[in-house]
Amino acid sequence: MTITIALPSKGRMKDDAAAVFEKAGLPIVAVGNERSYRGKVEGRDDIEIAFLSASEIARELGAGTVDFGVTGEDLIREGLVDADRQVEIAARLGFGRADVVVAVPEIWLDVETMADLGDVAADFRSRHGRRLQIATKYWRLTQQFFSSQHGIQLYRIVESLGATEGAPAAGQADIIVDITSTGSTVKANHLKILSDGVILKSEACLVRARKAEHDGDPQIKGIMEAVQMAL
Amino acid sequence: MPLINMPEFSGRLLDDFAARGAMRIDTPVIQPAAPFLDMAGEDLRRRIFLTESETGESLCLRPEFTIPVCLRHIESATGTPRRYCYLGEVFRQRRDGDNEFYQAGIEDLGETATASADARAVTDAVQILGHLLPGRRLSVTLGDQAVFEAVVRALGLPAGWQKRLIQAFGNSELIKQILLRLASPQPVAGLSADMASLVRQDEAALISHIDRTMQDTGYSTNASRSPREIAARLKEKLSLAETRLDGTALLLLSEFLSLELPLADASAALAGFADAAGLSLGSALHRFQERANALAELGIDLSRITYRAAFGRPLDYYTGLVFEVSKAGDEAVLAGGGRFDRLLTLLGARQDIPAVGFSLWLDRIEKARAL
Repeated sequence: MTITIALPSKGRMKDDAAAVFEKAGLPIVAVGNERSYRGKVEGRDDIEIAFLSASEIARELGAGTVDFGVTGEDLIREGLVDADRQVEIAARLGFGRADVVVAVPEIWLDVETMADLGDVAADFRSRHGRRLQIATKYWRLTQQFFSSQHGIQLYRIVESLGATEGAPAAGQADIIVDITSTGSTVKANHLKILSDGVILKSEACLVRARKAEHDGDPQIKGIMEAVQMAL
Repeated sequence: MPLINMPEFSGRLLDDFAARGAMRIDTPVIQPAAPFLDMAGEDLRRRIFLTESETGESLCLRPEFTIPVCLRHIESATGTPRRYCYLGEVFRQRRDGDNEFYQAGIEDLGETATASADARAVTDAVQILGHLLPGRRLSVTLGDQAVFEAVVRALGLPAGWQKRLIQAFGNSELIKQILLRLASPQPVAGLSADMASLVRQDEAALISHIDRTMQDTGYSTNASRSPREIAARLKEKLSLAETRLDGTALLLLSEFLSLELPLADASAALAGFADAAGLSLGSALHRFQERANALAELGIDLSRITYRAAFGRPLDYYTGLVFEVSKAGDEAVLAGGGRFDRLLTLLGARQDIPAVGFSLWLDRIEKARAL
């Protein structure tokens, strides 16, 4: 069986992923030129590498068109319904660390916790004639965290595809749910992370699509073990 | 247009609606999504079928009828009271059951005699189900948001906690959490000493500090929460944290929430509870009684209805009566309804329009008929 591994196609994630595979004894080379979107593992004709964007990797894992992928846990949990049923996190790779957090304007001196935010959300419509608006590209994670974990129902999601941290100052939304690695962009935009507002501590993971044919397959087991040992 | 999967009893049902003075109203299957998400919250997003128009407007397949019926009523600017009925397909992503199924129901908009309108809604639902399921015993559960709110107010809890409790009514897990937190209040964290003293001493200075900071950091002070609003809530929060909460109030609240008894005995039990606790429940109790009397006058056996004090729906447009009807010994809800006096103004009506109604789950009724 040919095993397909999807890896990030550019940036730090691409280099860090390549380094992990190198250490695992699975050195990756591009097929054709350096910019090519296909690759292979030296000396292993049974493995194909597909270079994709990180969010595409989550989607392809969900669809089962690739066997493994390296991508952020945030994209897995946001992109897939019931992620744990569809995929298995085989290894946490220790790079691409970032948290998905709830952040509010720093000047909201009265809001420190999700319970505070719940109070503000409950009153919002009667005060402002509209629901509290949350700018985010993580609508699934936001919803689970707000509704299921904190019983907060009364808000609206404003989909934001970039520069989310600027939305509150620009008046597009009241608060944000976004990813941050050091918290510095959050601070620079005069936002603060709620004390219990970390939705997910994410990092790059080796993720396996749950497929029946993987059961008992020594190649699959071998790749997982090699990467786990390299960490 | 004939709908292929329409339940075979649809014709009879529509005749029954007509005999009860309801006018049938049709609403488009494709609806703007915003009113549903605004009213029911974002949680609905994953349970409805969303799509987008070419111009980017968010649209959905009708997930229920109440909001479209109310919107149609507001649009058509007809007078009140109006008694509408509907029957048609609704679409929801469900883990169990089909994604498209039929609902029918009645909405009374603008009927100001609320006790008798409530009683009529319950009676209609029970009688219609009685006709469709002859010989089966029905079980009716009734709750009242207004009574709960009156109890919470009478207990003299701080305003902030009252709001939290009222917001959570109907969600027993959340109520439990709130009661726990009330029993052991948390100190306020994350506030510098300067700010804390400012809150206590000089609210005007605090407001202007917030205002200045917002301007310096590029926040428009009117796009979202205003300096005044933030200062006021900060003050409220600090005083909440300093309030010593009365243990008896919490016990009384728990006692109230555990009430469950036949409606025939409920008015007396509520009055007894209020007397023993030294609480004045005012007009809420009076209205409760009035509704029970109206139900009895319509020939409903009050000993067959269960009043459950904790029964409510955690949606902020429900204001009074809530009820559900199922087959005795079976959990599937066949009819659900309630009073939603706040919905029409939230949807844009210029004046308050009292409203009460119910909907019937035709797929479940069909199943119950087959048994």
